[in-house]
Amino acid sequence: MKKRNTTIQVIIDNQPLKVSSGITILEAAREHDIFIPTLCAHEELSPHGGCRMCIVEVEGMRNLPTACTTPIQDGMIIRTHTAQLQETRMEILQLYMSEHTSSCLICDEKDDCKRFMPTIRKAGVTTGCRYCPNDGQCEFQTLAEQLGVTEIKYPIYYRGMRVETEDPFYDRDYNLCVLCGRCVRMCQEIRTANVLAFTNRGRQTVIGPAYGRTHLEAGCEFCGACVSVCPTGTLREKTRAWEGKEDREEITTCTFCGVGCQVRLQIKGDRIIGSLPAPDPLVNNAQLCVKGRFCGTELANGPLRLRNPYQVIGGTKAEISWETSATTAAEKLADCRPDEFAMLVSPNCSNEDLYVAQKFARVAMHSNNIDTSARLFYGSGFDAYLNLFKMSSTLQEMQKATAILCLGLDSRFARSVVAVALRKAARRGAKIITIHPREHNLTLMADKWIQPLPGEEVSLLENLAKLIGKGVKKAGTKAAGMASRSNHSRDLSEVAEMLRGSEAPMILIGSEFLQYDSAAAIFKAVEGLAQKLKAGILPLPSLNNLVGSVLMGAYGELLPGGNSASNAEKRKQLAQIWGARVPGKNASQNAKSLAKGAKVKVLYLVGEVPTGWQPNAEYVIFQNIYPPDGFCHADLVLPAAAYTEADGSFINGEGRVQRLNKGVPPFGGALPDWQILSQIAKKLGVQGFGYTSIEGIRKEIAKVIGERRRVIDFSREPKQLALSAKLVPRSAAPAAKTKSNGKFPFLLSISAIEHSHRGFPLSTWVEGSKMLLTEEVLEINPHDATKAGIDSGAEVVIISDHFEKTLPVKLVSGQPAGTLHASLHDYLQFNPNPHPVKIRRKKCSG
Amino acid sequence: MNDLAARIETARAKWDSLNNSKVPVIYIGTATCGTAAGALDVLEAVRTTLKENKLKAKVVQVGCIGPCYLEPLMDIKMPGEARVSYASVTPQTARAIIEEQLIKGKLPLKYAVGHFGVNGNGHIDGIPKFFELPMLRNQVRLVLRNCGFIDPEDIDHYLANDGYAGLRKALELSPEEVIEIVKDAGLRGRGGAGFPTWRKWEICRGAAGTDKYMICNCSEGDPGAFMNRSLIESDPHAVLEGLQIAAYAIGASHGYVYINSDYNLAISRLLKATEQMREYGLLGDNILGSDFSFDVIVKEGAGAFVCGEETALIGSIEGRRGMPKSRPPFPAIAGLKGKPTIINNVETLGALPNILRNGADWYKQFGVQGNYGTKTFSLVGKVRRPGLIEVPLGIKLRQIIFDIGGGSWKPFKGVQTGGPSGGCLSEESLDIPVEYESMKSAGSIMGSGGMIVMDEDSCVVDLALYFLHFTQNESCGKCAPCRVGTHHMVDILERIAAGKSRMEDLSQLQVLAETVARASLCGLGQTAPNPVLTTLRHFRSEYLTHIKEKHCSAAACKELVEYEIDPAKCNGCQRCVSICPTEAISGAKAEIHKIDQYRCIKCKACYEVCRYDPLAADAVVITSRRNAS
Repeated sequence: MKKRNTTIQVIIDNQPLKVSSGITILEAAREHDIFIPTLCAHEELSPHGGCRMCIVEVEGMRNLPTACTTPIQDGMIIRTHTAQLQETRMEILQLYMSEHTSSCLICDEKDDCKRFMPTIRKAGVTTGCRYCPNDGQCEFQTLAEQLGVTEIKYPIYYRGMRVETEDPFYDRDYNLCVLCGRCVRMCQEIRTANVLAFTNRGRQTVIGPAYGRTHLEAGCEFCGACVSVCPTGTLREKTRAWEGKEDREEITTCTFCGVGCQVRLQIKGDRIIGSLPAPDPLVNNAQLCVKGRFCGTELANGPLRLRNPYQVIGGTKAEISWETSATTAAEKLADCRPDEFAMLVSPNCSNEDLYVAQKFARVAMHSNNIDTSARLFYGSGFDAYLNLFKMSSTLQEMQKATAILCLGLDSRFARSVVAVALRKAARRGAKIITIHPREHNLTLMADKWIQPLPGEEVSLLENLAKLIGKGVKKAGTKAAGMASRSNHSRDLSEVAEMLRGSEAPMILIGSEFLQYDSAAAIFKAVEGLAQKLKAGILPLPSLNNLVGSVLMGAYGELLPGGNSASNAEKRKQLAQIWGARVPGKNASQNAKSLAKGAKVKVLYLVGEVPTGWQPNAEYVIFQNIYPPDGFCHADLVLPAAAYTEADGSFINGEGRVQRLNKGVPPFGGALPDWQILSQIAKKLGVQGFGYTSIEGIRKEIAKVIGERRRVIDFSREPKQLALSAKLVPRSAAPAAKTKSNGKFPFLLSISAIEHSHRGFPLSTWVEGSKMLLTEEVLEINPHDATKAGIDSGAEVVIISDHFEKTLPVKLVSGQPAGTLHASLHDYLQFNPNPHPVKIRRKKCSG
Repeated sequence: MNDLAARIETARAKWDSLNNSKVPVIYIGTATCGTAAGALDVLEAVRTTLKENKLKAKVVQVGCIGPCYLEPLMDIKMPGEARVSYASVTPQTARAIIEEQLIKGKLPLKYAVGHFGVNGNGHIDGIPKFFELPMLRNQVRLVLRNCGFIDPEDIDHYLANDGYAGLRKALELSPEEVIEIVKDAGLRGRGGAGFPTWRKWEICRGAAGTDKYMICNCSEGDPGAFMNRSLIESDPHAVLEGLQIAAYAIGASHGYVYINSDYNLAISRLLKATEQMREYGLLGDNILGSDFSFDVIVKEGAGAFVCGEETALIGSIEGRRGMPKSRPPFPAIAGLKGKPTIINNVETLGALPNILRNGADWYKQFGVQGNYGTKTFSLVGKVRRPGLIEVPLGIKLRQIIFDIGGGSWKPFKGVQTGGPSGGCLSEESLDIPVEYESMKSAGSIMGSGGMIVMDEDSCVVDLALYFLHFTQNESCGKCAPCRVGTHHMVDILERIAAGKSRMEDLSQLQVLAETVARASLCGLGQTAPNPVLTTLRHFRSEYLTHIKEKHCSAAACKELVEYEIDPAKCNGCQRCVSICPTEAISGAKAEIHKIDQYRCIKCKACYEVCRYDPLAADAVVITSRRNAS
């Protein structure tokens, strides 16, 4: 209801009251703190009127209207708590309870159980009674207590529905469902994903996707918004089911991608038990994606989290104290010349960690051999990609955009808050265009889906720009290395028309094409397009603090502040602040060279994990939250604090510096990255690492880059990246020696695994995400699979001119015929560009 | 208008030539009732007979004239003579009738049931006037005037019979004047609620906005009710003309007919009718040269009973789930797509052409004060003459059931009116006038017109259970009182019917019924307890017998009865032995048969065969269980 500024006179329970007009009876009552029981009402959602709890008596209206749906009128005489109303409400609640397991209300043991846990159960007594995960935080329970219901006079009818546990992250037990419809309204009205609905009718009414689809089939983004609004224990988070109510909350920023949604960490004792969205109008509007909502808790609480430092000597792990670890590290490092040292620090680390890391390399080791894995992830388009941040727009602009062009943006299980904004924009009439090689969540809702074959992207974008400029139809494009199988000319003309006619166009950049060598040309073309359209560009990096890593100078050729390391003047200024010399010699190693096998004496990995390459170092220091086992060898392993366990900040894709607030103490004996680095630096006898708090680091950063308002005051204003240096991108891979022809009939493109945290693929440590993310499989069109005689899940060997790889197959109807795709963690082993391959079924041995 | 005038001329000529045909005209009622009785086979037999004998005749398929118990009906009008109606015609008798009348020129009296005279007059020995038949005598067929006479798929037949004269009259007046006429006539919604039609229209007319919708509600969901279906199958234009008149009155330019998808014939006739209307300029822009533009979409519903409720119906048209919404806001102000919308029942609309054509005063001569006009009823159940009837409001229940319907063969017990939302009245209520208020004060409702007659073989508990099962299944599930409340009511009724209840159950049933009625969101839930509440009121003793004595006097509640063979009567014919589906009856030929109670499923097959088979001895007796626990 739309509240208006005028007030009207009504009488509620014999009291004459002034209330706002344009609202419901319920809202009017609440203006004066008059209590009316509700169950299905929710302030974010439209009125439902289904639970019948808020029934009131209104003079002149027949029957008992519901307060939540009825508009208040001037002169209305309302009674909210007559004897008949109370009686009726009790009756209705009794009816609800006859089909809802209510042991929490009527079990004789309940009081004793809470205090003494006397009831014998097969499970250990310390686990207590576990009849419902919502006990103690249940709106239904509260309602029953408010109305004073102590018995159920109707026969209990247990609906006997199967508890749905097959999906990741949350379970559904519809035996507890009261059909309030909140989840349906949340999914339809706020998330706009339209996954849930009321199905069947009468006694068989149940909530779920229509037509018997599974949640995955119906497009569920696993955002958990439905779980948050469920008043009963029907929808419950798997990892949180039996934790009970949280003790406190802490607002922090999610670190799983460059959107940087604000979350409310749910904390009980010393542990994170959950993560809920914070109502933030700047970035995420009280919504999250599956990663921020569910993955963080599992990641932070994994049993294999590193607790104490240890050394690996002769294959054996030996735990040591922090003191010993610092001394050991210092010994190895003291012996190391500047060009024999290399440090890789993760763009998932906070600004403060990154700053201290690059300072460590430069001041403690006198070396510019500092880099991040972004240089590997973004391939030869790295510099061109970073350029886009110099003209970044904001998420709020999406609310005004009249046309939005999405480039390579799959936004179902990552950045789904952006998908919500796109759907909302579409609802109000904005044109949505998506360019993506495979089927994705925007395919069905976009006004136009352009599906470039691997390799066609640059010419596609250039043609689009030409069409926008000229308004003339042009002939089809030709993909590099093969005859074009698709004629996009008509689609492009339509898209050009949509964009040209739009007053506020916008371009969103996802994470496709990033590994291609043509990425540089792609992003250059995007820039050109944006200029032509006067469109805002918003890159949405998967590495959450990519911008921070650049601004903090975590790259050999960059100084903090975005200046070039070869700028002597800037080096001098920095040296003055640091009170130490800033090395001028160019970096001798970076992530590229290291991944190729360059030898160093000491490799210090801060939140980085070699994926698909082995370090060629005499001594490896591995500083992370999980152990390196299965990825690489490490000599010294140091436990770092997770993002929920330390203060910090990072810069999202819009250039907002956002706060990380420590929620709980670090796991075991872990320490924040900057603290570990400072310890070792002190052991090396270096000055300038005597930080006693995070504020000290921030003050220094603000001094160095001249940004007090953003860095210290946390103004959270968006800002375009100030970068005056060029980064050296990875050089182009050699061209494919084979042509796509009868012998090598498929065009294979390989992507890096996008969803990672501190160097690990997220699915390594978060079991549930394995079901959702398409990784380590070969995606193939079902027709191609049938022709080749390959079933879903079967293993195939992919053969090209320079590698052979075995992968299980996944049939993807949206995969264009004649093409293959795989997201691999060891993507560096392969040619990053689309190249011709052939496949054969793997022969079973024996 | 001139265009239509010309067409009316042509239509009249066509109609006259049919009535004065030089060759015999054979009318066959092939609406759904007739078809179900076998009319299509009769039609084929007629065509074959005509062809074989090289007879020239016109065959016209007409709609339903009313007396279902006489179906299939075949009427023959010989040139210059009265049209004669033959009842219960089979393919064989059809052949015989045609041979008698068309070839031999004689009237086969034994099949004839009535005649229509020549221009209303005339006398034929041995055959009463059709409209003097007991079933038809007290009827006043206004809405159903054309049913059974015109070909529903030929707009000319409708035009020739003052078709669209009502619309033409309305277009000469202002919309406000049309509303005034309808107000004066006192027309009330025939869908069941009896809300004054003019008042709903006026609210909509006054609502803001120029985009308005007019919807015809043919989501006829009451079990046993077929008035709306019959009317649309037999005379679709009557409803469509009414829809137009209503649309004109409220200022709507878009219309819908919302109809169950299983009403196939009705849907195809509607589509055909609208097609013909467009051809004749009766739909589309500037109808008949006026400012009024209107077109109709026939929207099929998937068959949910709840979609007869206004807001659920609107939701269904919008492509959403048919789940009712709270009101206010009322559809008249904000309905389909948020625009002012009026939903009227098929019969309400069917009455409009007559009212506009003949005026309010004419209409007020039928019915009684405050309840003017006529109402159609589907009179079914334990009655000699079931069928579709139309009577003036105010007529006594007794007249309908006994005079028109011929009463039941066995002693009359009660009558159920208003479908699942209605109630059961006993013998005591037979003299109440059938109109909205008095039915309500008797505890029932008039409803949309379903009227089910019961005799001593009907059990009221069983009836209440039947209706409650229905509403339980049709409940949309949105609100707990309806969804869960009806479930518990069914539970209790089942226990009563099984002889497993106590007196406390009765008071719990009463409380439940009151809660459901008071707290439900929509009319389905609010009226679902009515069958229970009325049977408790008028037939309480029957409930008590079930509870206290575990006895069902109607022998309908299976758990409470036993089937026995009277050894004194049994003649050992083995009819029951062979018919029993569970082989529960034993006994060799010429020996006394016996029923094994553990195997007996109370299907009544042995009872029926023993009673009606000429060789059997009527020896099966249904008694109340002696050892019921």
